Amino acid sequence: MDRQALRERLLRIVGPDGIIDDPDELLVYEYDASDEVFAGHHRPDITVLPRTAEQVQEIVNLANEFGIPVTPRGAGTGLAGAALAVRGGILLVMTRMNRVLEINERDGYAIVEPGVINLELSQLTQPRGYFFAPDPASQRACTIGGNVANNSGGPHCLKYGVTSNHILGLEVVLPSGERIWTGGPAPESPGVDLTGVLVGSEGTLGIVTKVMVRLTRLPEAVNVLLAAFPDLESASQATSAIIAAGILPAALEMMDQLTIKAVEAAFHAGYPEDAGAVLLIELDGLAEIVAESAERVAELCRQCGATEVRVARTPRERELLWLGRKSAFGAMGRLSPNYYLVDTTVPRTKLPPTMRTVEELSREYRLRIANVFHAGDGNLHPLILFDRLVPGEIERVLRCTTDILQYCVDVGGTLSGEHGIGFEKRDYMTLIFTTDDLCAMAGLKRSFDPRELFNPDKVFPSGFSCGEVNALRQQALAQRLGIEFV
Amino acid sequence: MSEQAVFQQALEHIARLGEQREPARYELDGRRPQLAVAPPSVAALQEIVAVASQAGLATVPWGGGTQMGLGNLPRAFDLALDLRKLNSIVQYEPDDLTVAVQAGCTLGELSAKLGAHGQMLPVDCPTPDRTTIGGLVATGLSGPRRYGYGALRDLLIGISVVLPNGQLSRGGGMVVKNVSGYDMMRLHYAALGSLGVIVQLNFKVIPKPRSERTVVAAYRRLADAAEGALRIRFSQLVPTAIVLLDGRAARVVGLNLQGWVAALRCEGPPVAVQRQADRIGEAVRPAAERLDVLEGGASERLWAEISGAIAAAPLDRAIRVRIGQNPSELPQLAEEIDRACTGLAVERSRWLDIGSGLCYTALASEREADLRLAWERLARLGLHATLLSAPPAVKVDTDVFGREPAGLAVMRALKETFDPTGILNPGRFVGWL
Ligand SMILES: Cc1cc2nc3c(=O)[nH]c(=O)nc-3n(C[C@H](O)[C@H](O)[C@H](O)COP(=O)(O)OP(=O)(O)OC[C@H]3O[C@@H](n4cnc5c(N)ncnc54)[C@H](O)[C@@H]3O)c2cc1C
Ligand SMILES: Cc1cc2nc3c(=O)[nH]c(=O)nc-3n(C[C@H](O)[C@H](O)[C@H](O)COP(=O)(O)OP(=O)(O)OC[C@H]3O[C@@H](n4cnc5c(N)ncnc54)[C@H](O)[C@@H]3O)c2cc1C
Repeated sequence: MDRQALRERLLRIVGPDGIIDDPDELLVYEYDASDEVFAGHHRPDITVLPRTAEQVQEIVNLANEFGIPVTPRGAGTGLAGAALAVRGGILLVMTRMNRVLEINERDGYAIVEPGVINLELSQLTQPRGYFFAPDPASQRACTIGGNVANNSGGPHCLKYGVTSNHILGLEVVLPSGERIWTGGPAPESPGVDLTGVLVGSEGTLGIVTKVMVRLTRLPEAVNVLLAAFPDLESASQATSAIIAAGILPAALEMMDQLTIKAVEAAFHAGYPEDAGAVLLIELDGLAEIVAESAERVAELCRQCGATEVRVARTPRERELLWLGRKSAFGAMGRLSPNYYLVDTTVPRTKLPPTMRTVEELSREYRLRIANVFHAGDGNLHPLILFDRLVPGEIERVLRCTTDILQYCVDVGGTLSGEHGIGFEKRDYMTLIFTTDDLCAMAGLKRSFDPRELFNPDKVFPSGFSCGEVNALRQQALAQRLGIEFV
Repeated sequence: MSEQAVFQQALEHIARLGEQREPARYELDGRRPQLAVAPPSVAALQEIVAVASQAGLATVPWGGGTQMGLGNLPRAFDLALDLRKLNSIVQYEPDDLTVAVQAGCTLGELSAKLGAHGQMLPVDCPTPDRTTIGGLVATGLSGPRRYGYGALRDLLIGISVVLPNGQLSRGGGMVVKNVSGYDMMRLHYAALGSLGVIVQLNFKVIPKPRSERTVVAAYRRLADAAEGALRIRFSQLVPTAIVLLDGRAARVVGLNLQGWVAALRCEGPPVAVQRQADRIGEAVRPAAERLDVLEGGASERLWAEISGAIAAAPLDRAIRVRIGQNPSELPQLAEEIDRACTGLAVERSRWLDIGSGLCYTALASEREADLRLAWERLARLGLHATLLSAPPAVKVDTDVFGREPAGLAVMRALKETFDPTGILNPGRFVGWL
């Protein structure tokens, strides 16, 4: 690759302030929020910060011409290493494309550029009575483009669904350089659901340059309950009981004792420090339904052994309860120099045995594990606390992670509930998918990106190839039939 | 071996792999297949599809056959693949609110099983005993209840598909939150069986509301009806469906009312439903000529009728068209439809799904030429327009999916990758893919 030529051509597209290739300045772009210990650090050849969709398109054309990889990146808060330029090339940082282009309350949507910060969008629309439902705990920093690429979740996705359910359309630059709008404000536009396919594709199929998001009406009534339990098991049972009773809370979050202590020390959110676990339950909707459900939820919690059920009376109290939850990861710094977050989902009824298993593994590997997670969805986040300077600790964290994932898969769960596969989890993919499954996914990738220039080495296991499988299958079939196909 | 011999041999081989059915019962746009079979197992289906693909047999997956009106005229039609023997409920976990079901299972059968545990898939259906789950997902059409519950698209958590090369491809899983790998569910949802034959679908299911009511308000003028419906849409009330019907459409679904009718559905616990129906009633009453509230079974039946009326089942001497538009602009669209029909001998009925942003219209005429002309005009309206069903003669030389969608090049690449010999529903999908 002729670096100098590339640099000059890029310069013409984005200007001098749109390019970073000074080694010192590139340093921050070698990392994202994934742990370096597990995902490594990877230097892009050049970081480019476009301001318009047209620029993105030109950059992609250039990448095609030079045959070099392009890795899109939002705020870099991703936890799976998906925004790392593991094969070098261009790192396309989308944060300067951060305008809100349109807010249409009448038809319930907004059009934003991908660099808009998640929380800012909701703050902007709330005074008008609307919000953007996906609310990852990182919402103060992460971008809508990153949310789209990772199909991110958040506490309120229990009731409102994950990002995918809130994306009406996308403007994307495809690997071919073509720029298209998929979807639109009216549903069921004919053709393959490209919007649906692109959401969650981790920047491997297209670069999102505009997003049409659904805006959700703020509910008439909101009620937040905090229930304290003696242990994780009883809290897990309460979770199952609430869901099985046909109640759909807006959010149902769990925190264990370790987390409660850390959060209390850092933020004084008012959580009962002696509890073994707490559930944070938000109910919203019509006033009548919220009132009725709140009573029923309190009752179910008590039946499952809750020692205390508190109701937040004021918006301020509500906020405080949420602050503790949303800042929980940040509070972990008080407990340990490093932590590794395992994101996985199990069927909700499997939560109690899963929590038990996590506890056992914690003892077995002599690693403290904190739990703070989206219990209502069965989406757990064991946080394995460790110190990378202690010899042997990293290996134990890895083995413990593998055991947790394997257990979750064995009980019918999956590898990632919301953080994505990215670079870091890709070699686990064979735990849940067969070669045939992966080949079909590779077919999808190839249809979009035959040269594999968009965010390479992500999602698929390392060294994965399915070229020969199909040829062998066809031979076998022809033999069995005794037919020679043309 | 000659192409003809391969073709014959393939047909014979396939005939042995499944139960044969009477080809006359699998008519598609006036054509009949050479062979109709029902594979007894996924393994048999895999082999059938692989053989068909190698021999180039034009293959049409077949569920209940209730929505075969949707799609372009097939380029060829050799084999009907009846999937109704793949009809088991594979796994149902009521406490997890998840179910895995084979594609050939009917909605009726699944609903009965879910209903016994107070759960449901939120689709209305006039023909639950024929409609299959695979057909629902392959067509990707949702009725007005999408407003309250989302489309099936958003409840799909896992899928298994037999690809034309015979391989079984799975995506997703049995958990409600999952970002492991690509979203293969949405790749096949609404792809009209053009990329693979769906064999299993996993859903998150929804607690069945304990009661329901529908507020039905009749207006003289469209503007008043629309104003009321849109006001509710902007409010914090949470009806699960909002539809406007013109007089003729209202009569089709058994409401004997004039002018424009607004129907708003409330579902949930009894007290809440009653309160909400009252509040909606108060809000839409002022300009209404008449206001009724349907309860329980009557409400449910109305919505099954509405879903039936807007579906893609072929009608004689009539076409059905679906047009997407911003909810707030649907009333205007209704008037544009009227203008588009001027000078044509057609009778038209219009349903405006204000909750979702879709308009359905059925146009009847003795004159085929007028139906063709009407579609040509309607095809330009709104954000997108689809000819859901029409007599074959009207379908000739037109893409029933209307304007060419953006991204057709990628869709073509997908088709070529997954179905290189072009055997699945050949020519029937968007852009004649
Ligand atoms: C403290 C903390 C809490 C978190 N909590 C949650 C949570 O509750 N729920 C949750 O789901 N996640 C959570 N995350 C993970 C992360 O914040 C989300 O995945 C987020 O959506 C990533 O957004 P980002 O802008 O930082 O994207 P990045 O990390 O920069 O990128 C993520 C992926 O998106 C791609 N991408 C970015 N922009 C584009 C674009 N415009 N076009 C195409 N691809 C693009 C990248 O290539 C990469 O694959 C948390 C992370 C942290 C650090
Ligand atoms: C506008 C509209 C709104 C509708 N709203 C609703 C609603 O709210 N609720 C509701 O229940 N129904 C609704 N329907 C009808 C719904 O789409 C049909 O009930 C269903 O699609 C028909 O199922 P079927 O088994 O009869 O499919 P078929 O008529 O047998 O097949 C339909 C199409 O799907 C393909 N196909 C069928 N099975 C498979 C498979 N396993 N794999 C791949 N391809 C397959 C076929 O090749 C065919 O092209 C609506 C229809 C329309 C047009």
